Amino acid sequence: MAEETMQQPPAANPNEPSANAKKYAWTVPPAKTAILSHRVERVDGPAKVSGAARYTYDINRPGMLWARAIRSPHPHAKIVEIDFSAAKQAPGVRGVLAWKDPGAEVMYQGDVVAAVAADSEDHARDAARLVKITYETLPFSVREASSKDPATPKIFATGNTRPGQATDVGDVAAAFKSAAHVYEATYDTQVITHVCLETHGAVCEWTGDKLTAWVTTQGVHGVRQQLAAALKIPEANVRVICEYMGGGFGSKIAADASVVIPARLALVTGAPVKMMFDRKEEHLDTGNRPSAFSKVRAGVSADGKCVAFEAETWGTGGAGQGAQFPLPYIYQFANRKRAHLDVYINAGNQRPMRAPGHPQGCFATEVLMDELADLVKMDPLEFRLKNLPPTAPDAMWGEYFKIGAKKFGWDKRRATGEGGKGHLRTGMGVSACQWGGGGRAGNAHVDILPDGSVVVKVGTQDIGTGARTVVGIVAADTLGVPLSTVKAQIGDTDLPFAGASGGSTTTAGISPAIRIAAGRAKEALLARLAPSLGGDASKLEIVNGRVQVKGGGKSLTWKAACKLLGQEPISIDNAWEPGLSSVNTSGVQFAEVTVDTETGIVKVDRVLAIQDCGLVIDTLTAESQVYGGVISSINFALFEDRLLDRRTGQMVNPNMEHYLLASIADVPKVEVMLMNMPERGVIGIGEPPTVPTASAIANAVRNATGATLRSLPLHPHRVLAALEAHKAGRKA
Amino acid sequence: MAQNEDDVSAVSRRDFFKTVGVSGLATGVLAATEQQAQAAPGTLGPGPVPVRLTINGRPYNLHIEPRVTLLDAVRDHALLTGNKRVCDRGTCGACTMIVDGRTVYACSTLAIETQGKKIRTVEGLANGGTLHPVQEAFCDKDAMMCGFCTPGFVMATVALIEKFPHPTPAQIRHELNGNVCRCGTFNRVLEAAAQAGGVNHG
Repeated sequence: MAEETMQQPPAANPNEPSANAKKYAWTVPPAKTAILSHRVERVDGPAKVSGAARYTYDINRPGMLWARAIRSPHPHAKIVEIDFSAAKQAPGVRGVLAWKDPGAEVMYQGDVVAAVAADSEDHARDAARLVKITYETLPFSVREASSKDPATPKIFATGNTRPGQATDVGDVAAAFKSAAHVYEATYDTQVITHVCLETHGAVCEWTGDKLTAWVTTQGVHGVRQQLAAALKIPEANVRVICEYMGGGFGSKIAADASVVIPARLALVTGAPVKMMFDRKEEHLDTGNRPSAFSKVRAGVSADGKCVAFEAETWGTGGAGQGAQFPLPYIYQFANRKRAHLDVYINAGNQRPMRAPGHPQGCFATEVLMDELADLVKMDPLEFRLKNLPPTAPDAMWGEYFKIGAKKFGWDKRRATGEGGKGHLRTGMGVSACQWGGGGRAGNAHVDILPDGSVVVKVGTQDIGTGARTVVGIVAADTLGVPLSTVKAQIGDTDLPFAGASGGSTTTAGISPAIRIAAGRAKEALLARLAPSLGGDASKLEIVNGRVQVKGGGKSLTWKAACKLLGQEPISIDNAWEPGLSSVNTSGVQFAEVTVDTETGIVKVDRVLAIQDCGLVIDTLTAESQVYGGVISSINFALFEDRLLDRRTGQMVNPNMEHYLLASIADVPKVEVMLMNMPERGVIGIGEPPTVPTASAIANAVRNATGATLRSLPLHPHRVLAALEAHKAGRKA
Repeated sequence: MAQNEDDVSAVSRRDFFKTVGVSGLATGVLAATEQQAQAAPGTLGPGPVPVRLTINGRPYNLHIEPRVTLLDAVRDHALLTGNKRVCDRGTCGACTMIVDGRTVYACSTLAIETQGKKIRTVEGLANGGTLHPVQEAFCDKDAMMCGFCTPGFVMATVALIEKFPHPTPAQIRHELNGNVCRCGTFNRVLEAAAQAGGVNHG
C-alpha cells in the first residue's frame, strides 16, 4: 500500500488533493470524532503549571559559563577601540569576543559590539562593565519625520529612505471626480516591541566538533541551518533543541547574536555557555512592529460605495529594515493608488510581529471606514457590508458581521458622539481581519511499538499555541486510540523537518503529514493483525483503543493487539500533502468601551471575536489563541509604545514598568465564537485575531465621544487632545 | 499627530502614578535595608557567604554572594527553575514565590534576607503526582499558552485562595494584578481562579 502511494505521480495542480489526502480525509467533527475538534486540555499543561517544563532559560549544564553582551550606548557611532584588558582581569572571566571590529559603525542604541563569558551571571555583568569601548559619535535620527526630511544629512549608507511598494489600479483621478464626497485624513500607529517573557538566548555546548544548542526559538531547523552557516561548520554537526519556549510572536525565527555569541564563546572557553538577554536588551535589539503612517484621500459615491483611494504611506522598521503594510485593508476601492516609503531611523530593527503589517493597515482603513460612513450618513456596519468583497468560504466578513451584530446588540449602538451625557461615555465599534495561514512544511514519523506505545515525531516546536497537543490529537484521532497513548516528540532537529512556526502555518504544515502517516500506520497495523482477527484487514476497526471486527465479533485490547507485532514495530514516515489543509481566514470583532472624558482613560468593557481557521483541531486551545490575540490588540490600542528620546536617541522605557502592558484588571469580558469549517481542512489561527481589536476600540471611542482617534496608542493625553479638538471643531 | 508630540510629555497619567509608586516603594525598601545594615554586627561579602534557605520544606545550604536575589538563588543554585525571570525588577510577577505566607517578587528580594523563612516555589505545590487544585484549574481552563508566566500566576492564585478561600471576581482581579502575561491568557486565568476558589459572585 505504501509503495503504491509513493509511486503516485505528483499532482499537476500543487493544490489538487493528493491520493493520500482523499484516502485519509478528515472525519467531519465533532459529532463523529472522539477528540478532534473537542475541548482538549493541552497535554503539557501539567508540566507548565508545576514548573517541570524546561525552557532554554532553565537549562543548566555542568561547568556552564554565562555570557553577557556589551552594547552601544549611542544611536550612531563609529567604534574606535575595544579594550578588553580590564575585563580579562575581572573575577571569574573565561573568555571575551569582539562582535564588531574597530572601524565598524553601530547603528542604534543596543547594537552589539562585544561579549564576555564568566563563571556566573553576576561576574559576566561585572566584567562587561569593564570592557572599554571608545566611540566616535555620528549624527542620528530617531524620528520618521527627520529621516524623511531632505535637509537631514545622510545617516544610512543606502540613504535615509527607500521607496517601497506602489500600486495604481483603475482610473483614480476620474473616480475622485465622480465621487460625491472626498475625505482626507492621516492615520498612524506606533512601534511596539515583542516583549517575549522568555528573553532571547541560548545554551551552547560543544562535544568535539559537534554543537548542541538549546535555543528559545520558533524554528529549530532554520536556526540549525543559520547557526551552522555562521560558524562555518556542517549542519550535520549542529543539534538545536527547544522543548518549551516562552513566547516569540515572530521575533525568534533567526539565529541572531543571542545564539551565535554563546556558541562562539563556548568554543573559545571549552565550556558550555549560557546567554539570556535581559529585559532592556530585549526591547532594544530583538525586533519590533514597525510604525505606519497613512496620509489618505478617499472618495465615496452618494449611495455609500467606496470608489477612490489614494494614499501616501511611510513607516520605520529601524536601521535599514522595511515597514510594509497592506492598505486599503479588506474593503474594496475599485480605483486605488498608493506610494510607500520605508524610512530608516537609528533604532533596533523590526522583525515579524504577530500578523506583520495587518494591524497597521487595518487601523488606518477601519477608522477611515467609520469616518466615511458618517459622511454618507450610514450605519458603519451597513457601510462595511456595502464595500466588502463578495462572500466566499475565505471571505466570510459579511456573514460574520450580521451574526456578530445580533449577538453583540449592535442595534443598541447610538449615533456618533451620542455616548451619554456625563463624563463617562460608552460606544461600540467593529473591525475585520484576514490572514493567509496555511503551511506546507511538515514531516511526521509514527511508530506503533509492540508494547502499545505510540510515538509521533515532528520537528516542529511549541510557541505556546499547543503544537504538542495538536500532534497528539491528530495522531490519536486517526489511530482511534486515547490521547494518553500517544507520545508526541517535538522541538529537536533530530526529529523530521518541519518549518518555522510563523505566519500561522504550524498546524496546517504538520497536521496533514501526521494524518497521513498515522493513517498509513493504522492500515499497516491492521494488515499485520488481520490473520489473528478473521483474515480481512478491511473489516477491522480501532475504536477507543480497541481493535475489533466491524459490526461485532472478535476484538483485542490495544496492548494485546500491539503485542502481536512481535519484535517489529510499525514505523511510517510521511510528508505534507495537499488536500487536508487550506489558506485564508476571516474574522470580525466588536468592541464596547467606556471613555472617561475628564481623565481621557479608555476602558474596554467587552469584546466579541468571531474567527474561522478552517478545521479546528482543539477547540480549547484554538479559543485561547483568539483570547490572546484580543488581549495583544488591546495592548497595541491602549498601552504599548516604544518611546525614543529625540535628543539622545535613547529608548526611555526599556523595561516593563514604563513600557505598559495590560494586566488582569484591564481585561474586558471577551466572547469568542470559533467558526469551524472542517470541509476546508486546517488553516491556522495564531495571527488573525490580533488584527482588528485595536481598530474596533478606536471606533468605539469615536462612537462614544465623537472625537476621532487617528493615532495609536490611545493614551489619556491623546484622548483628551482629541476631545478638545472635537469640541473646538464643533464650535467652529 | 504623533509627529508633533515631541514636546509633549509622552508619559501618561498611568506612567506617572507607576513611577511615583515604584520610587516610593524603593525609598521605603532602601530605608529598611540601611537600618538593618547599621544594626548588623559586621559586613558580609562581596564574596560568597553561607546562606541557608528552607525551600518547600527542604533545607538548602548555599554558598552565594550577598547580592544574589532569592530568584537567582533558587533557580541557579538550588536548581529549582520553575519560577521564571522576566522583567527582573519587580513588575511582572513571573518570579512570584510565597515567603512566610506572603507573595514576594523573588527577583527583587535578596536571598540572604529570607534565611529562616518558609519559602514556597511552584515546585512545592503538587503532592507527588497530584496537582494542587489551583494547578488543576489552570489545566482545565487552559489558563496558559507559552507557559512562562504560568508558575508566577499559579503562585499568586494559590496565595489568593489561601487569603480568600472563595474569592469574589473583584478580589481575583486585585490579587492577580501584579502578574503580566504576554500571550493573553488573562480571561482564562480569571476562570481558573474562580474554579479553584469555588463560585462567589460576591
